[in-house]
Amino acid sequence: MTMQTTTNLFQRFQQRLEAAGGEAHYAESLVEAADILAAHPALVQREIVVPPAFEARQPWGAILPMLAERGIAISEAGDPASVADFPAGLSSAELAIAETGSILLAENALPARIVSMLTLTHFALAQAGTLYPMLEEAGSALQRLTAPGPDQRHYISLVTGPSRTADIERTLTIGVQGPRALCVIIVE
Amino acid sequence: MSTELTPLTPPREAQVENANPTNEEQPFDVRLEHALSDQHMHAALERFAPSWRDSRAGVFSYEEQEYGPDYSFQHMRSTLRQAKDYATEHQPELVARFKEMARAAGAIVFEARTAEEANRYIYDLCQRKGIDLVVKSKTMVSEETELNHYLEARQIRAVETDLGEWVAQLAHERPSHMVMPIIHKTRQQVGALLSEATGREISREDVAEQVAVIRVEHRKSFLNAGMGISGANALIAESGTVMMMTNEGNGRLVTSLPPVHVVMAGYDKLIGTFAETMTQLRLLARSATAQHITSYTTFITGPAIPGHEMHIVLVDNGRSEMRADPRFKDALRCIRCAACANICPPYAQVGGHAFGYIYSGAIGLVVTPFHHGIEAGAGPQSLCVSCNACETVCPVEIPLPGLILDVRSRVVEAKGLHWIKKLVFGAMARPRLFNVATRLISIAQFPVTRGSNFIRARNFGILGKLPLPYIRPMVKLASWHSLPAFASRPLRDRVKRQLERYERRDAIDRVLPDRVPANATSRLTVCYFAGCMTDRLYPEMGQAVIHVLQTCGVRVTFPLGQNCCGLPALNSGDRRDGAAMARQTIIMLEQALKESEADYILSASTSCVATIAQDYTRLFEDLDEQGWLRRARELAGKVVDFTSFLERMLAEGVQLPVRQENGEATIVTTYHDSCQSCNCLGLRKEARSIIRDALGLELREMPQADVCCGFGGSTSIEHGDVAERLLHNKLRNAESTGATILVADNPGCLMHMRGGVDVNGKKLRVLHLAQLVAERLE
Ligand code: SF4
Ligand code: SF4
Repeated sequence: MTMQTTTNLFQRFQQRLEAAGGEAHYAESLVEAADILAAHPALVQREIVVPPAFEARQPWGAILPMLAERGIAISEAGDPASVADFPAGLSSAELAIAETGSILLAENALPARIVSMLTLTHFALAQAGTLYPMLEEAGSALQRLTAPGPDQRHYISLVTGPSRTADIERTLTIGVQGPRALCVIIVE
Repeated sequence: MSTELTPLTPPREAQVENANPTNEEQPFDVRLEHALSDQHMHAALERFAPSWRDSRAGVFSYEEQEYGPDYSFQHMRSTLRQAKDYATEHQPELVARFKEMARAAGAIVFEARTAEEANRYIYDLCQRKGIDLVVKSKTMVSEETELNHYLEARQIRAVETDLGEWVAQLAHERPSHMVMPIIHKTRQQVGALLSEATGREISREDVAEQVAVIRVEHRKSFLNAGMGISGANALIAESGTVMMMTNEGNGRLVTSLPPVHVVMAGYDKLIGTFAETMTQLRLLARSATAQHITSYTTFITGPAIPGHEMHIVLVDNGRSEMRADPRFKDALRCIRCAACANICPPYAQVGGHAFGYIYSGAIGLVVTPFHHGIEAGAGPQSLCVSCNACETVCPVEIPLPGLILDVRSRVVEAKGLHWIKKLVFGAMARPRLFNVATRLISIAQFPVTRGSNFIRARNFGILGKLPLPYIRPMVKLASWHSLPAFASRPLRDRVKRQLERYERRDAIDRVLPDRVPANATSRLTVCYFAGCMTDRLYPEMGQAVIHVLQTCGVRVTFPLGQNCCGLPALNSGDRRDGAAMARQTIIMLEQALKESEADYILSASTSCVATIAQDYTRLFEDLDEQGWLRRARELAGKVVDFTSFLERMLAEGVQLPVRQENGEATIVTTYHDSCQSCNCLGLRKEARSIIRDALGLELREMPQADVCCGFGGSTSIEHGDVAERLLHNKLRNAESTGATILVADNPGCLMHMRGGVDVNGKKLRVLHLAQLVAERLE
């Protein structure tokens, strides 16, 4: 993929995600991603919760020391009550889709899953190489990820923006049961 | 634990339920009356419908523009239709594959034949595991099986965690809309319910505060519940995966936190592959809420967490019966997007509770009889005005209006036809009797028409107060739209001179070649089928049609044997008389075509065109009368409507000698798209181009030009309140343009709208397109 198409793709992704009430950033490197995180208003309390064993996750684990360097306390997700309404959570996406501004999360373990379900702001990292134009790619990935075997992913979500409702008088309200904000950082 | 949660979900007590007019245990009339008197709901729905239409259209056209024709609504809906049809046809294989894959991933699959079996399975599971608190995310099938009720009667608390569903539960009501459960409630009502449930004062105005309540209140339930019950938007056979689409985030918590997750889904949710599912999720989000995709689309393949259980309850409850029916199996394609409710004009007037059961709108009218019996569907089906709008927006191309008529004829078969209808249709099916009857009425009506074109309420005078049967209902009807008078001389008595004059002139033109007008080159002959309204009520419309056609150089013939096409009977579920009229009409038209060597059969009533060209084939398919079916198909190819015929002639270079406006003030017109014109025949630009380009008149679009005027055949008689509101909206929209002429090309709408204008005394002329053209000719 050329630089040009990546940029176009990112712009489309960003536009769609913003339309869904989310936020998208582009980072040249993990260091830049750490900078974006550290400067984010959702981290004023300087703490973030991550899935267990995130430090071993390729290629994302390396961001944890960078965050620590920037004065951010990192906690590992445990039982749901402890993660509930945590100001910020960080996890990683399998891929991203420009057409809809979505990310695909595929975590089997509950503590990893609830980082994207119960925190107030959810940050997700995705590799630029896994940003695809159309949902068809999500379809193929789903087929792959749900294939029987030891690596089968039982719980996969396409997430597009923060949780929302328009149930009362069709007034759009952001942040119902899930996070109030979603911030995706696409890392080159 | 349970005492702490008591205020959240007060049990549905028997008296409360009986007192609740939104409940299906109330008779249809009671529900309808309640719905019609609910001003809040009415206002909310009236605001919602147009805004949904605009945003839905916007999202689909955006996608098409960005990604090309493969992502157009039309293309995607036909793709999904094929995928869902495949799933219905190959259901046994898909079920087997789904079960195999889901089981391999660790899920337990249970197949429930009935609602009771499904409910019992879940209850037994609770029993076995000692569960007394269940959290739920939106599950329409559980509403269908009345699961909450079932569990609560057995001391198991079921808490709805979707905001709207929860509020409905607190109000002891059923959701009134498949996607927006409490569209009928105001924020004040929601605030009051939440305050009562939580025992503290919650704002009646601040929606954000109200939404925040649910996060706090439900957190405890999520952490304490022994079971989470969810629905499914799709069951993906290739991998045994359950797909669920939500916006609030409660769905993911329901399916993640409790140790037991139960999915309830109908067999109709099966789909073959992930690739097909991507098309479904696009269409569903876009059709339901005009989102490109919902916030959370979750794919669950067996339990993810060691020690957790996942049960999938596949529910039949009438679906096999649907699948076995050659027509109704189409309804199994439904993805529950509610587009067919959002677009439905009567729905916008009465809301979902009048429909009685969980599935409201067009699809509700179709499937409710299968899930809950024909009696349950008998009242609600009468709301349908056969406007066909639902079929145009359904993302899986379900022929909803036709299926609703099938339900209607089953109701008529079971319960019989109203005696007035029986009398009228019986007469209409006998052309000679009908002819004599209408002529007699045209004389007898004088006391109430006083020689005018209308039967007016005020003309009844003392007569209207007498306790005569059917006079009072008639006065009531006429009070909001004057009824049409029968013409003293029907069109059939008037056409002879008009047709002969043309033949004479034509003969002269032929011998004097330099007098041949440019228009005469094509020399088409059309056989004019007027339709009974034009013939008996509005002969002047028919004369205008003939005049305009002749001016275009078209030879017109008028078979005197013509009678009603059968539409009123067919639309009322009276197949017997309807089929009789259809057969008569086919014979008559075949003969007329032969005798006059006509190129086309033309009608200026788009309702008649749709009946002859579309409904006949369906009728004879259903009756399995192959001979008639063949004849109907052949005839269908010959039938054209006046509007598109004229537009085509003009496009091919035929010139209309249009009067130039000199000094006259500009005439401003507005156009009403009759349902049959736009939804059945797909006409939109034709009439507009005639008015603007050929006549050179100003045309101002009215808001919601293509929404039903409320005529809807006999609905305006059966549900006068609904029809009156639709008419009121139509005339208000028409007047808002400042136009002085309201144009349409279907006599039924013209009749309805003229009646309304006559009552409210507005200065609006209501004309058939042909009349407008005829008026503008030199
Ligand atoms: S045909 Fe019209 S009135 Fe009947 S269900 Fe469909 S949208 Fe509603
Ligand atoms: S019938 Fe069609 S429009 Fe109606 S809910 Fe089902 S899929 Fe949607």
